[in-house]
Parts: sequence; C-alpha cells; structure tokens
Amino acid sequence: MNKVLISVLGSDQPGIMAKVATVIKQHNGNIENLSQTLLDNAFGALLLVSLAEDDSAEKLQQSLQEQSQGMNLYIRVHPWQAEASDWYSNKRETQPYIVTAIGPDRQGLVAEIAGELFKHGVNITNIQAIFKGGKNPMDNLMVFEVDVPRATVMNDLRDALDAIAARLNLEISVQHRKIFESVSNILN
Amino acid sequence: MLTPKEIISTLQMVREENLDLRTVTVGINLTDCVSDDIETFKRKIYDKITRTAGQLVVTCKQIERRYGIEVANKRISVSPIGVVGAPFNADQMVEIALTLDKAAIELGVDFVGGFSALVEKGMSRGDQALIQAIPQALTESQRVCSSVNVASTRAGLNMDAIKRMGVIIKQAAEMTADDDGLAAAKLVVFANIPQDVPFMAGAYLGIGEADAVVSVGVSGPGVVKAALHRAMAEEENLDLSRAADVIKQTAARLTRAGELVGREVAEILGLPFGIVDLSLAPTPNENDSVGEIFETIGLPAIGAPGSTAFLAMLNDAVKKGGAFASSHVGGLSGAFIPVCEDLTIARSAAEGTLRLEKLEAMTAVCSVGLDMIALPGDTSAEMLSAVIADEMAIGVINKKTTAARLIPAPGKKAGDHVVFGGLLGEGPVMAVNLGDQENRFVRLGGRIPAPIQSLVN
Repeated sequence: MNKVLISVLGSDQPGIMAKVATVIKQHNGNIENLSQTLLDNAFGALLLVSLAEDDSAEKLQQSLQEQSQGMNLYIRVHPWQAEASDWYSNKRETQPYIVTAIGPDRQGLVAEIAGELFKHGVNITNIQAIFKGGKNPMDNLMVFEVDVPRATVMNDLRDALDAIAARLNLEISVQHRKIFESVSNILN
Repeated sequence: MLTPKEIISTLQMVREENLDLRTVTVGINLTDCVSDDIETFKRKIYDKITRTAGQLVVTCKQIERRYGIEVANKRISVSPIGVVGAPFNADQMVEIALTLDKAAIELGVDFVGGFSALVEKGMSRGDQALIQAIPQALTESQRVCSSVNVASTRAGLNMDAIKRMGVIIKQAAEMTADDDGLAAAKLVVFANIPQDVPFMAGAYLGIGEADAVVSVGVSGPGVVKAALHRAMAEEENLDLSRAADVIKQTAARLTRAGELVGREVAEILGLPFGIVDLSLAPTPNENDSVGEIFETIGLPAIGAPGSTAFLAMLNDAVKKGGAFASSHVGGLSGAFIPVCEDLTIARSAAEGTLRLEKLEAMTAVCSVGLDMIALPGDTSAEMLSAVIADEMAIGVINKKTTAARLIPAPGKKAGDHVVFGGLLGEGPVMAVNLGDQENRFVRLGGRIPAPIQSLVN
C-alpha cells in the first residue's frame, strides 16, 4: 500500500481543509484518517492518506504547495510505513489516568512532568493546557491523559509527582479516568 | 478525549466544593448469629462483623487515592438488634452494644448502626429490652448508633412507643450531661424507616436485605451551592425552572461518582452493591451547608417565608437527578436540615430566624425531619414525645420518612449554646412551645390508627 502522512500547519483561516482535500482527490488519493486542532490561531492537521500506485509523496507535496500558495501553510508529506514501533506492537495492559497540574505556567513544567511520567513507563495519550492567567486556579491547568502500565507502582509515581509539585509550587493530582467519565457522561 | 470543561467541572467538585462520599456503609445481616446464650451471640456477631468488613477501611483508602475523592466515613449497619437479640434482657443488650462498639473500633470504622427496634405496631420482649438499654448503651459506647421506628403509613403511630421514647431520650441526655446530652445525638426516632439507609444515626440492615451489602451515602451541598451560584452569575434570565434543572444535573453527577466508588468497593470486598443514597448532608464547615443554598437562591435566610417552597423544589430535584443517574437509589435521598450539623442553619436558629415550628413545616417536604435539634434541658419527657408524635404524623400522612433526633441538653435553656463535636457539630438550644409542661394527650398512649389511603385531599 502506498501511504503517506501529511502534516499541515499555518494560521487558521477558512478553506485549509477544503484545499488540502481537493488536491488529494485530484490525485485519486483517499483520506483514511485525520485530525485537526487549534492552539489560539495556530492550525495543525494530520492526515493519513492512501495514494494511487503511480503517485508519490513528492508529487503530492508539490501539488499541495502549488495550490495553497497565498495561504502561508507549511505542508509536509511523508511516506508512511504501517510498521508500528516496538512499544506500540507490544503494548502492555494499562489503566487510564488523568494527571492534572494546577498552578501558574512556568518554563520547564511540561518537561518535568512528562519526564517523570516517562521514567515510570507511563504513555501520554493526550495533553492539553489551559492557561488563561489570573487567580482562578482552574484557569491555570495542565491536563495529561495517560496510560499507566500495570507494572507501575502508583505510590512511587504519586510520590515523584508530589516532589515536583512541591518544588514548582503546583498542585498535581493523579486520578483514574473513570471518575471523570462517570461524572461527565450522564447519558451513555 | 475528555473536554477541558469535563475535567474542570470534576476537579472543581472534588477540590473546591467539598464533594465527598460521606460514607461507605457495609450492611451485615446478623440473623444467622442468633443464640439464647449471650456469650455465644456476642462472639458470633463480633466474628461475623470483623470477618465481613475486615478489609473495608483499607479498601476505601485505596479507592480514595485512585479517584481522588475522600471517603469521609466508613460505617457498619447490622440487622436490628431488637430482633436478633430478642432473648436478651436490657443489661445483656448493653453488652451487645459494647460488643458492636468493640468490633467498630477493631475495624477502624466511624460508626455502627442497628442498635435498633421496629415497633410501629407493637413492642416485642426484645424490643422492650433494647429500648430500655439505649441510654446506657449509648453512654458507654463510642461508635454505636440507635434508631427506633415508631410509626408507619401502614401501621399508624405507636403512641405507647412514642411515650416511652420521650423518657428514653431524656435519660440518654441526662446520662451524658457533661457532653450536653451527646448520647441523645446518636439516637433517632423514625416513621417509615427505610431498610437501606447508609446515613447515621438511622442506618440498620433491613430484614429483607442480603447477607451483606455495600451502600454508599453521597453528600455535596457545597457542590449544589456552587453550581447554582455559577448558573446565577452566568445566566441573566435564570428562573426557578432552570435552577431546578441545575440542581437536578448536579445531583446526577454526584450520584455517578458515588455509584462508581460504591461498586468498586463492593467488588473488591466481594459483596453485592446495594444503593446510592444521594442526600445533601451538611457538615459543620463553610461551603458544606444546606442553609447556604437557601441564601444562594435569594432567600434572606433559611427559615424565612419561601423556605418551605424552595426546600420542596430542592429535595425533589435532588431525587430526580439521583434516580436518573442510578437505577439503585435508596435510603433517604434528599436534603437534610440538621440544625447543629449545618453552620448556616445553626446560625439562623441562633438568630431566631428559624424556629422549631418552621423547621417542622419544612420537614413535610424534605428528607428526614427534625434532626440534631438541641432543646432546653427542662423539656418534659411528655413534651419530647409530643414533638416526636407531631413529626411522625407528618411522615405517616405524607407516606414519607420522617425522623426526630432531639437532644434535651441538661441544664441548658433556650438560646444557650451546645457543642457535640465532629460531624455532630454545635448550635443553639431551641425553644419548645410550653416545653416544660405536662402533656396529657401523650399520656393516653395506645395507637393512632393508620391513615386512610383514599379520599386524598
């Protein structure tokens, strides 16, 4: 299978997806999966596309760049092998937790917490920051959605995160994802 | 992926709004422990309780950490001792209470309930012995709670039992005079007692229940207050329909949290899960008060005209939200208005905004009843019984649970201050109309017949 992974970055504006998808269609490619996100005005999208046999990542990249001129987009098309990483193909049994850090933004915050999570074998599945500033603690929040392997000793992980919290003057909590789901999803 | 809103609202409930699981209560059936030998009976109940709930406290701690929610109390409820201890006399009943106490201390649980009798229609020998033992049992034990069901919609009011309870409450208070009558704060008189309440002092395990069962009592008046407060600040045209909706949705969320924890504790202990009792049960702390919700909605204070109407709406919205969120909602499930356990209610009572008569009216539309009310020490036993009878009649006629937890504080008069400590809180001594007089109506005894169930007007 001739697959490519496309990243599209730029300042948000109407028509980005329309343009990208139209070019893919012209190439007889098919979008198998995609996701887009916004950080303030920064747009980012990731598309997994299967191409026609005679097409290539280079050709598609050229077309995309030509046709999106004037939109100031950074587009990259990478050939994509379906081969997963060792870790991915040997995934161990995990439990989903939510790690939240409440407190003011500061340099190195994500590196500290993500580094500690990595040390304990924890994989981050999603990460979001809500930094609005001000005094309301809920306006200065970092959320890590993580998968914790069974082998990880929760108390050790908590102790390590508590140490970071004390050092950076944060409040860090580690709660099983189920509590958020059961409280939020009343209709399911 | 969870949305920031979902994460923030859950965090807020736990961090700032005092969402806690007031109690995880393990109900333990003691009918298979029966014996006519007191030592055998004591040994059997001690063994069964400590065996069945041996892991309760550690399990709750484990779950607390996993979800980041505090389990404030761990409790045990047992089959009514008046039934399973029927062969024993009052002195032996005290020994049983102390055995329950010892088991509770051994397990590290906060309370054990079920030193109870069900006497709405008549008193058996065991019931009489148990009731006679209550004052001493509650004085000598630390963690035992007692309840006596004296009325029901199907049986009417057992006025002989109500008359007796006035005397018992007075004795219990007098035996603990140094603590403002603390023993009476661990004793509650019921109409239509539910079989599965996890809250104290009324928790016992009904005869129709399983051998052992885990139930959860969720509280969270602070969460409801905060949700209402937010909605009122954000929505310009918020009316009472919308306010009811906010309360209902909040109640549903609270119930979900409770059920999650309850089911998990039950699974780890290998016991069936019973019910979630979602009740707005205050503690004597800021932001954990039912009275504050009244002020948030715009009443000058709890007790002001409008309080009964709002309480009716609040209680109903809590029930609706709970019933929607879980198929097994039980116990009391509603709003409690215990005077001494709630800072704002205690303040209104001290300032005279809230009087006993208004409280009584409010209990017609809320869960439970006249709860944690300190009365003058010279209130006569007959007048205590009369206050109870009034409260029971409200429950019997309205087909709902009502209860009376009255503490005639020895040596105290209306307006004085009493302190019970811990969750039981503190508050003012409230005046009883003609409280020190006799009451010949009560002295007549007998039974007030069960009410007709048709001709509903």
